[in-house]
Amino acid sequence: MSSYTPTAADFQPLDAAREGDRIDRPSLSYWQDVWRRLQSNRRALASLYIVVGLLLFTLAGPLVWRVDPALQDLEQVSQPPSLGRTALVVADSAPTTSLTHTAISSAAASRDSAPNKLRLLGTPHSEGVSLAWDPLPGVEAYQLYRHEYPPRDADDLGLPLVKLMPHEVSYRDLLRLETRQYYYSVVGVYDGEEARAYTTLPVQVAQAILFSEAQYRGLLGSDATPESVVGSSIRLESHPLGTDYLGRDMLARLMWGARTSLFIGICAPLIFVSMGLAYGGLAGYSGGRLDDVMMRFADFVIALPFLLFMILFKIAFGLGPGESGIGPMLLALVLLSWPATARLVRGQVLQIREEAYIAAARMMGASAPYLVLRHILPNVMGVLLVSLTFAIPTAIFTEAFLSFIGMGVVPPTPSWGSMCNDGIRTMLSHPHELLFPALFISSTVLAFNLLGDGLRDAMDARMRSGT
Amino acid sequence: MGSYIARRLLSGVITIWFIATATFFGMHAVPGDPLLNDKAVTPEIRANLERAYGLDKPVPQQYLIFLGNMLQGDFGISFTQQNRRVNDIIAEHFPVSATLGVLALLFAAGGGIVFGALTALFRGRLPDYLIMLLVIVAVSVPSFVFAGLGQLAILQLNRLVGFSLLPVAGWGSLSHMLVPSLVLGLGTMAYLTRLMRSSMLEVAETDYIRTARAKGLTPQRIFFRHQLRNAILPVVTVLGPAIAAITTGGFVVELVFAIPGLGRYFVQAVQQLDYTVIMGTTVFYGAFLVLMVIAVDIAYGFIDPRIQVNKSLS
Amino acid sequence: MSEPGVPVLSVKDLEVEFDTFGGVVRAVRGVSYDVHAGETLAVVGESGCGKSVTVQALMGLIPMPPGRVVGGSAKLLGQELIGLDQAQLNAVRGADMGMIFQDPMTSLNPTMRVGDQIAETLVVHRGITRDAALKEAVRLLERTRIPEAAQRAKQFPFEFSGGMLQRVMISMSLACTPKLLIADEPTTALDVTIQDQVLELMREIQREDHMAIVLITHDLGVVARMADRVAVMYAGEVVEYGSVDDIFYRAAHPYTQGLKQAMPDMHQHGKDRLEAIPGSPPDLFAPPPGCAYHPRCPHAMQICKHRDPGQYRVGDAHYASCWRLHEEAPAIAAEDSHAG
Repeated sequence: MSSYTPTAADFQPLDAAREGDRIDRPSLSYWQDVWRRLQSNRRALASLYIVVGLLLFTLAGPLVWRVDPALQDLEQVSQPPSLGRTALVVADSAPTTSLTHTAISSAAASRDSAPNKLRLLGTPHSEGVSLAWDPLPGVEAYQLYRHEYPPRDADDLGLPLVKLMPHEVSYRDLLRLETRQYYYSVVGVYDGEEARAYTTLPVQVAQAILFSEAQYRGLLGSDATPESVVGSSIRLESHPLGTDYLGRDMLARLMWGARTSLFIGICAPLIFVSMGLAYGGLAGYSGGRLDDVMMRFADFVIALPFLLFMILFKIAFGLGPGESGIGPMLLALVLLSWPATARLVRGQVLQIREEAYIAAARMMGASAPYLVLRHILPNVMGVLLVSLTFAIPTAIFTEAFLSFIGMGVVPPTPSWGSMCNDGIRTMLSHPHELLFPALFISSTVLAFNLLGDGLRDAMDARMRSGT
Repeated sequence: MGSYIARRLLSGVITIWFIATATFFGMHAVPGDPLLNDKAVTPEIRANLERAYGLDKPVPQQYLIFLGNMLQGDFGISFTQQNRRVNDIIAEHFPVSATLGVLALLFAAGGGIVFGALTALFRGRLPDYLIMLLVIVAVSVPSFVFAGLGQLAILQLNRLVGFSLLPVAGWGSLSHMLVPSLVLGLGTMAYLTRLMRSSMLEVAETDYIRTARAKGLTPQRIFFRHQLRNAILPVVTVLGPAIAAITTGGFVVELVFAIPGLGRYFVQAVQQLDYTVIMGTTVFYGAFLVLMVIAVDIAYGFIDPRIQVNKSLS
Repeated sequence: MSEPGVPVLSVKDLEVEFDTFGGVVRAVRGVSYDVHAGETLAVVGESGCGKSVTVQALMGLIPMPPGRVVGGSAKLLGQELIGLDQAQLNAVRGADMGMIFQDPMTSLNPTMRVGDQIAETLVVHRGITRDAALKEAVRLLERTRIPEAAQRAKQFPFEFSGGMLQRVMISMSLACTPKLLIADEPTTALDVTIQDQVLELMREIQREDHMAIVLITHDLGVVARMADRVAVMYAGEVVEYGSVDDIFYRAAHPYTQGLKQAMPDMHQHGKDRLEAIPGSPPDLFAPPPGCAYHPRCPHAMQICKHRDPGQYRVGDAHYASCWRLHEEAPAIAAEDSHAG
């Protein structure tokens, strides 16, 4: 019982301001609603930004970072990421400061002694490391080793570099030097056998560049002469993400590789989803025997083991000279992937065809093209967009997989998959060569997957609120 | 059930025929000379070789011979190793791949069901978020990266314990199989975890779970006797595609871990354009996958009571 | 029909809310009713009026979150149900109160034999062995007149027809001879002829076991057949509460009158047009102030728009919530029961 005491006015009929069926929420079109929902899904929105960022990276990146992805910077092979390193300019013909020792002492010495005073001649740099040591009496030869770690014992001296005659007590190492720490060891050889005693010298190799090379690559001023610059430090080209095993710039390769990967990843799904739409739409709309025959064929194509036939078709389409292999891969992907979409679209069309609103439209005299364009297509669009979003990561994975097993794009053309393939060989020593392309593949696939999830949720009619 | 199996097998046979035909004409469309990388120097040797492989006959006849041989289970002789029959190659290398695949599948299915059930059980709490984060990572990272990381992990582990606990590559003992099968099953496991999770959540919303709660059953009993059992069924239906994914995923893992399986051999054969081996293994793999899918469907019929009776009625 | 003594179920001022995407939905807004042993209370109302949510809340079946009981109480034989923990609730559910649901096809576990599903309740509540429970399950199936019960117990739900399955559901909810049976639209999903059989079965069992039934339905025909008392719900509130005769012959609330006008009447030969209630139920995100029914009410007055009508006693154990029943309100033309 209400405590309020009503007055007579309260009991006047209420009819002027009837609010029977009032629509009190703004009406949203389907796509507006989907977009609103997608925007409230933070993960999907972040993925959308990643996708846009990737497209920018791919399309605009090479305009900003104008480095040839095929150019080999042999001074900087397998370099980890850095903003720029300097190199010592050295003369093209380094003076050969070789020491010889003429007075061979015949005095028999202890066979267990190691050469004394293993030392450096000049600055050790990547264009050459010169070493010298004091002669040992009574040796038959010297054996020189190089190791990347401190040797543990006489059996662990590393890479045998050279065997020298007793009178040669210096050596200039030019063998694939990297800018890192090396451990040089020298032992004496007596009667064809190496002594157990050894001397080790740790050497930090500096980056160097030949004068002519620096000039050729435009790293020096036009008026530079060997006399003026040799011995000074200059800046080398910078490789923000490092270089690969052939000294190619990773950033440029990732940008150009993105073109390959995203081109296949986006074009192939676009083509086969459209094909599937046409095929499935026709089958579903016409129904009957044509539908049976068409879907039977689609079932066969679906039964083909996907990757095996990707490989098979890829070989079958062959490769002309100078081609990158993108075309055959695209074709194979399209030929094998369309039936899934066709099936999906057909199912949708069959279902929509039976809806009451189609019957109603028909009764009001709607023509077949009108029905398809106005009623069926818009209703299929939703599932189609979702399946397209999920097809993209699958296609990117397929490209990467094929390129990884060497069935993808042909070498000079970079792709993320082939970069991973290159990178996995040097994974242990230079992890960045695998890490970067793998990171790009993963984040792209992740972004498209999350975007697909978000789209699907946004379109799911069951989740529409406002009831 | 019997007529259902017969029908499925018949359609399976037709599918295998389609795969074989597509393989044959696919390989015959390959541009270039199949004997080019052979030592067919003189026309005489060349003619002999062509006769030996039946390449001198017109294509339709070759196709019929190919089908006939295939019906007898004969895939011919390798192009690059003239003394080896393709059947022997398959017989030698397939068991290795199959062992790896079965281990990976066990790992994927077991892990997928357990982790999926856990995420549903801890929905919206830390274990759920953690597992789903790992799932997202696992479906986004290509298998070869996992293979590389797997090797790296073995190396680190060996360095840590100071001796060779697990071999980095190769094949032979169980210790060789452990990491490759984990790596191989990972992607599928992530997929199954996701599926199991949504299946569990779907079942949790059903009327019969509400009935079970209205009966006063304990949460444990509802979880194990009602929810889990019904949620596993959809997972079983995708085991067919899962087997296909693991089979082809095996190529990469075999390459990276240097496992002498059929997948690695297939990739080599493709690189060397060994026509008969490519055709043989493709048809073999195709038939294997078709039969596996049928086997999974039939097995499902035995697990789900609804299907069993419907089939026996029809 | 009301009996003296403690009611089997007594719901008082129950309020339930749900957090949803669009805001808080106040699904149940202060519902009260009592049910005594051997008596059937019918709860009627349109879809979404909160009639199912009320019983699901007191059985602890609404998912929490997003749902929550905000206030009120629900007592089963004097024992408070709201606020019980999981284990305490499980001791009551299935033992002292059973529930049957609208769609028997989806309310049984599809992969478990029906005998096992019935036996399960017995195993859990009575602690008997599975074999003994299975025997009891067969007896229960026989009691609900399922032919060849022993064989049927070994079958799966999909092998039954809808009507048979509802019998199975009834057997299951009766397993522990509960004092209270809650039937949430038990016949809505069934054929008309089957509906009749199921309702007859429920009556019979009620007579034998002397249990109380809460029957939730939107079918006034079922109400007329089964109910002793009726609670009419609208927008999460009980708007009228009385004996079945009160509701059918002396309806005091305009909504109840509207419902009756929308129902075909066999004795009414002259009238061939059913009157629909204009408009649609209110939005429970923001229920209108005042009487929730006023936007659709043909008799709405100024006050209905602003103030909640209290509950007015119309007759012996007959209550309604409408401003027209206020003593100051203009006299109502005596309702002609044939007009409705």
